[in-house]
Amino acid sequence: MSTSPASADTQGSGNYRTLLWALAKKRALLMYRYPVNTLSGLAITFLFFGMIFFGGQALSEQALTDSLGGIIVGYFLWTMAMTAFSGLAWSVTRESQWGTLEQLYMSPFGYGRVMLGHISVRIVESFGWGAVTLAFMLALTGESIHVPLGTVVVLTVLAIAPAIGLGFCFGGLALLYKRVENVFNILQFVFLGLIAAPSVEVFWVRLLPISQGSYLLSIAMQEGLRLWELPGTELALLVGTAIVYFGLGYGAFQLMGTRARKRGLMGHY
Amino acid sequence: MTTTPEQVPDEQHSPDEREKAPGTVETPALAVRNLRKTFGSGAEAVHAVDDVSLDVESGTVVGVLGPNGAGKTTLIKSILGLVIPSEGQVSVGGVDVYDDPGAAYARVGAMLEGARNVYWKLTVRENLEFFAAVGGESPEALRERHDALLEQLSLTEKAETPVNDLSRGQKQKVSLACALARDVEVAFLDEPTLGLDVESSVELRREIRRLADQEDMTIVLSSHDMDVVQDVCDRVVIMRDGQVIADDAVSDLIDVFRTFTYRVIVGTDTDSGPPTEESPLNDAIRMVLTEEFGVEEFETRGERRAFEITLGEPRRFYELMDTLRDADLVVHEVASIDPDLESVFLELTNDENESPLADEGVRSTDATRQAATGGENE
Repeated sequence: MSTSPASADTQGSGNYRTLLWALAKKRALLMYRYPVNTLSGLAITFLFFGMIFFGGQALSEQALTDSLGGIIVGYFLWTMAMTAFSGLAWSVTRESQWGTLEQLYMSPFGYGRVMLGHISVRIVESFGWGAVTLAFMLALTGESIHVPLGTVVVLTVLAIAPAIGLGFCFGGLALLYKRVENVFNILQFVFLGLIAAPSVEVFWVRLLPISQGSYLLSIAMQEGLRLWELPGTELALLVGTAIVYFGLGYGAFQLMGTRARKRGLMGHY
Repeated sequence: MTTTPEQVPDEQHSPDEREKAPGTVETPALAVRNLRKTFGSGAEAVHAVDDVSLDVESGTVVGVLGPNGAGKTTLIKSILGLVIPSEGQVSVGGVDVYDDPGAAYARVGAMLEGARNVYWKLTVRENLEFFAAVGGESPEALRERHDALLEQLSLTEKAETPVNDLSRGQKQKVSLACALARDVEVAFLDEPTLGLDVESSVELRREIRRLADQEDMTIVLSSHDMDVVQDVCDRVVIMRDGQVIADDAVSDLIDVFRTFTYRVIVGTDTDSGPPTEESPLNDAIRMVLTEEFGVEEFETRGERRAFEITLGEPRRFYELMDTLRDADLVVHEVASIDPDLESVFLELTNDENESPLADEGVRSTDATRQAATGGENE
């Protein structure tokens, strides 16, 4: 362009933080520009919890009261896991079907790092939604729980890391097979099952994605324990499952991305 | 396209003809070596790209042409690493695309999906800023560049408008702008003028040409629109069945297929009265023109006669003039009927045609000319 002398001086002036900022700005702009879409998502989250709460009360008030703290923590974690998972898997699907995927792929940062940036933004966003949802749930039920912020943030990030891994994995499947949305819908019920799984009673359940995080987050928020007050082995298991599932998912994503490129399937046509 | 013999256009130049500083060896802006891409295996294997090699110098606009399924898109995607080739190497400005994709992508912009290249829910400027950041540049540092880009593409007034609210042509321009949102050395444009109205297409062509001429940008574009390619490209690569069957400067390629066909109008020096036995083009001269020059049809135009004649080689033009002069005919008009890129393309890509290049697998101007003339130019 005619501004090339200036732009030549600024070649490479951006860095990864610039990319993160751009991804965050894009997400914020879309939420702001389509408020009905944004708010309807939140309304559905509230409505679903309302159905669980009032439905539970109608069926067995005592049973609900006994487990309300666990339900609130579980629902909080579920909304966050779903935001992170769907934010990633749907994003790859939409970009792949639309035509912007190739542009992202050709980023000098590499597609994997672009998607890591994307998911980082989604995690921050999911904390926002999680906080609002938590406030709504506490207000609706009159229940009170502990929210040691640092502990909740760390445990939640580690708890949803396997969900992000699954998001990468299904995002990779979307690169190869394009239309896998129905699988995404099934995953939200799988997540519910993993969060509610009896990890105290059955040890191996803790090895499944999200379950260990759900268990520790529940202890921290219901009993008010800080991170350093949690058993070291339990924390180690959480970190281990987070790294393994995230790593496997990211690896599968890269593998399927390579396969898609070999088959000429990257992009829309 | 019809011009007089003196008006043969020679506006396009081969990259080889560009002046280079003596003693310097320029790294090609884009170098493709023995690129192959085969989908499937065994009997079902499809050779989408078959041993393609290209060197493209800076500031050159290269058009990639070919019928549907010829391998154009796979070639471009393979060059960009969006498709992993079966074999071959690609470098942009000397940087290997497969070994160091990050460094290569920093030098490249691409418009591969037309208007679907960009986010329609974002405004024009937001798209520019987003893709600049994705490309590793700070949007704030490129503000002036973006303003200039919007100005050049007549999008300044639409800068804050969501892309979704723009016309198709404007969306296409936004897509081009996003491919150029940062300072790139090589731009790949897949069907950049597809679906554009005439005015938008002309504007876009002008911009592509300006980028190459003034910004020294290397542009590889694929298009089905021969006018676009003939208008803006320095060089054209024609593909068929995954192979490059022609790779030449546009004007040189047209020259190869020039048949020295002329439309001639003759009369007598008086041009009076209806044609008679003594009128121009009586049977004797008709016979000479038919037998010696292969003229098949004569058209009466008042007292004059018009005919189309294909001479095959330039020196026969003088024989024709001598013949007409000997018959006391006055030549009122001679118009050269040149082939255009479309006829060249059809000639090359039609399986049934025995083109002068059919057996040679054209690679360069010299090879093309030799093939067409049987080595007469040597």
